Amino acid sequence: MEAKFLIAGDSAVSIQLGEEISLEVNRLVRDLYTNLTEDPVEGITEMVPTYASLMVHYRPQVIGFKRLEEEIRKRMRGREEAGSAAQLVKEIPICYGGELGPDLEDCAAYENVSVEEFIRMHSEHEYYSCMLGFAPGHAYMARFEEPFHFKRRETPRVHIPGRSIVAQLNLSNLIPFGQPCGWNIVGGTPLDICDYQKEDPFVVHAGEWVRYIPVTLREYETIRRDVERGTYKVKSYLRREDKAARDQRVVK
Amino acid sequence: MGIAVGNPGIQTTVQDEGRFGYQQFGVSPAGPMDTQSFYLANILVGNKKSEGVLEMTFSGPELTFEEDNIIAVTGADMSPTVNGEPIPVYQAVLIHAGDVLAFGFASGGCRSYLAFAGGLDVPLVMGSKSTLMRNNLGGVNGRKLEKGDRIGFCAPRATLPNMELRKLRPEVFPKKELTLRVLAGPQDTEFTEEELKHFFWYGAVITNEFDRMGCRLQREVPVKHKGDGNIITDGIAFGSIQVPTNGQPIIMLADRQSTGGYTKIGTVISVDLPKLAQSVPGCRVRFVRVGIEVAQNLYIRRLEKLEGLEKTLGNKSA
Repeated sequence: MEAKFLIAGDSAVSIQLGEEISLEVNRLVRDLYTNLTEDPVEGITEMVPTYASLMVHYRPQVIGFKRLEEEIRKRMRGREEAGSAAQLVKEIPICYGGELGPDLEDCAAYENVSVEEFIRMHSEHEYYSCMLGFAPGHAYMARFEEPFHFKRRETPRVHIPGRSIVAQLNLSNLIPFGQPCGWNIVGGTPLDICDYQKEDPFVVHAGEWVRYIPVTLREYETIRRDVERGTYKVKSYLRREDKAARDQRVVK
Repeated sequence: MGIAVGNPGIQTTVQDEGRFGYQQFGVSPAGPMDTQSFYLANILVGNKKSEGVLEMTFSGPELTFEEDNIIAVTGADMSPTVNGEPIPVYQAVLIHAGDVLAFGFASGGCRSYLAFAGGLDVPLVMGSKSTLMRNNLGGVNGRKLEKGDRIGFCAPRATLPNMELRKLRPEVFPKKELTLRVLAGPQDTEFTEEELKHFFWYGAVITNEFDRMGCRLQREVPVKHKGDGNIITDGIAFGSIQVPTNGQPIIMLADRQSTGGYTKIGTVISVDLPKLAQSVPGCRVRFVRVGIEVAQNLYIRRLEKLEGLEKTLGNKSA
């Protein structure tokens, strides 16, 4: 579709690039974000990528709405294929079940599989981080293989602990801090999902990929100690994928 | 040091202009609710207008000064006193070490801004001093002030150039009725023409659910969507008017979430947001539709006025 520039007040514009939640549309959002980062328009103060749009906050005293739209459209024409580069996959250790993942057995039962098989389904595939929102560092992540069938719990919990990993359908999110939540908790990670003291506080950014790595409770505790000491380094690898294959994939 | 907090007031937080650049990571920008009063307080004490100040809501704190410094109070009138004697608002005032600056309850508005020459010595978190209480972020330990807190000054001043010029006529805020100018969009097309007309034709009333995050309104007749009121989550601006499924609008304010999945029928223009920030539950709100050129011209004119004032006062940042 033709990009829509939707006025969001006198200092922001929401650029809508599609009408569905899909990897293809989200890549358009990432591409525009990258283009505007590499070839900035003076007056833009910050950009907020979401599933299918890019919110651009700007200073009207530097650039008015009409000229901003012209400048951004120019950059969109210039380079339509920015996002074909290799993608970073971050490895997030997860300890399944027990106190950290109280809903693991229920989830396996919903899927009518053993707990081991459930863990394989959840941890074997890579997840794409479509956007961050709701809370600092809270990533909305989707995988494209073997989606689960279960959705949210009937009764949401008033509070779930930070560093929980929750799941439904093909989605599995990292919960940075304690919050109310209606999703099932399958495990916990020893990593800080958001640490304000770090130069880059957020373990996962939008547009990155994540792979959950199963660890035992002992390994979890060892990693947690390293994280608290500040000596733990998040592991990552590069992922390559041809464009034709990825365009087939629809997130939801 | 700087100030020691006695009675902290109902909700006193450190706020600078806001935490920008982190909305893409899900971090709300925070910053002052009433930007105009915030800017004026800083300008009066010779600061950069984006410097960190104390935002006081409904009532103010009792502060003992450990060092001399110049302050200014703007926004709602909380009848400030020094050692029991009233001091003027919207004016630069020198406070001496040992003095006690105290505030009462707000009248004519609900939020006051207290700026200190040279600013407050609070650590920057992600580039900002602003407090985001929901996420325990920034300011003094990520929370509102408590009894016993001490906050240092960065560069206190005993004098400033043009001291005699550093006073302004206090702003008068609307009490019972408020007119807010609105730009339609980003999702105005999710409503019929007729419904959009009704939105601007019928007013709404501010409810008790009004905090730094947002202001819930009550309309006699809820706003009807063409669909169910949900959209694919997109960005939220300061002043976005969300219309959730129940048709009762919520205006998103300083601590707004950076993204959201409800339709947004319009956005209150920047220059009108301070009036909303100073209003109280029960106040009637009317919306008037304006165009983008008008809104941006008003924004620029407000900025030029502030810059003019900085020049007149001989502020270094001008």
